[in-house]
Amino acid sequence: MAKPKAVVHEKKCLACGGCISVCPQDAILMIASKATIYQEKCISCGICVKTCPIGAISEGGDKK
Amino acid sequence: MKYDVVVVGSGPAGSVTAGYAAKAGAKVLILERRAEVGVPVLCGEGISKNVDNFEMLKGTRRWIANNMDGARIYAPDGTRVTLAAERAGNEAGYVIYRDIFDQTLASAAVHWGAELKLNTNVTGLLTEKGKITGVKAQHFEEEIEIKTDVVVGADGVESRIGKWAGINTTLKPIDLETCAQYTLTNVDVEDGFCHFYLGANVAPGGYVWIFPKGGGVANVGIGVLSNRSESGLALRLLDKFIDSHPGLKQGKPIRLLAGADPVAEPIQTVRDNLILVGDAARQVDPITGGGLTHALEAGKIAGETIGKAVQMQRFDKQTLLPYETEWKKAFARKLKRNYMVKELFLGFDDKTLNKLADSLKDYNFNEINTLGLIKALAAKHPTLLGKLLPLIKISTI
Repeated sequence: MAKPKAVVHEKKCLACGGCISVCPQDAILMIASKATIYQEKCISCGICVKTCPIGAISEGGDKK
Repeated sequence: MKYDVVVVGSGPAGSVTAGYAAKAGAKVLILERRAEVGVPVLCGEGISKNVDNFEMLKGTRRWIANNMDGARIYAPDGTRVTLAAERAGNEAGYVIYRDIFDQTLASAAVHWGAELKLNTNVTGLLTEKGKITGVKAQHFEEEIEIKTDVVVGADGVESRIGKWAGINTTLKPIDLETCAQYTLTNVDVEDGFCHFYLGANVAPGGYVWIFPKGGGVANVGIGVLSNRSESGLALRLLDKFIDSHPGLKQGKPIRLLAGADPVAEPIQTVRDNLILVGDAARQVDPITGGGLTHALEAGKIAGETIGKAVQMQRFDKQTLLPYETEWKKAFARKLKRNYMVKELFLGFDDKTLNKLADSLKDYNFNEINTLGLIKALAAKHPTLLGKLLPLIKISTI
């Protein structure tokens, strides 16, 4: 089974852009001051998950 | 509508580039994604007093929150090293209100003739036969296209402008500090100094800072190197630090920020019809993570270079290249050197940092030079010598 893709918890995100700067796939955009991950581009590498300073990105899971 | 220059981002690098290009006679438009310049703040808000003479900051002094006379650095075991400005020829500093700072610069840019459009998210470059001719953007629900001769990517750490033009700006996790910061009120910290705390358990590959803003308010933040980070680690370690610090634990947050700070090597910053500046150009000190003064310096060079290009009506890489040559001459060597020092320091464990601090705590920083420093260190802790030898080589770069 494929690894779950990264998902941003929109209510937590503080729009620092760190995840965008390290994403090797250019799969993350800032939309209305929230990071948004394009699922079709995400390769589940987990770099953004580890990078988020406030834990606003998780692998799969609930988007709320 | 066609412009000579479209600047993407109204942070310090963008506003300064726009300001100096407009002053040189260019028709300039700044595009800002957010609804307010400078908000949310993404910054520790410390800056060197070197900015005192920067023309675009002279309109008001309201951006200054507090005066700093020096810095105190704390090793993992608490050993304290003081870098006092009056003793060291060190740069004294300010703690600033970054939102007012950014708005002061944007105001100056507008005053000098630049236009500024908020709520406008640039989504791509316009090209004709491979040549950049403008930007695509979203302004609320409306898709717009703006023609221009030069696009300036001042779009910060997450810059995508460079990528669109074929410059690989993706950061390796080892080249990004992932940050969190509270502005706390009701704290009791020593005023007049910036405080930096080191240690593998404090901030892996980074540091915790306390920047007093005066009146019982302070920025208390943390940077963790991304390759040593786990999800949410920066904020957890920051909470832990505050809880264990007697002067801070009764403090209450009036602001929480996340941040991302590139601590990378210098990159290419010019293409045909395109310039990168500021954090987008990775113009950040890899040791301190400070980038504001570089953004101002490089922005001025970029604006003046673009002004000349507009006069010549030539916008190819060759015409814009003096920007890169000049900013690299001004501070790229320092960035490269400090990148190597960063790599060296990342290899130091807490024990080594404690020994370093113990050697330096009484060191007279009047006579600061690499060799003298190494001698002082080796005299007290000879085992440090081998670890610090690379500094001699680095200092010759």
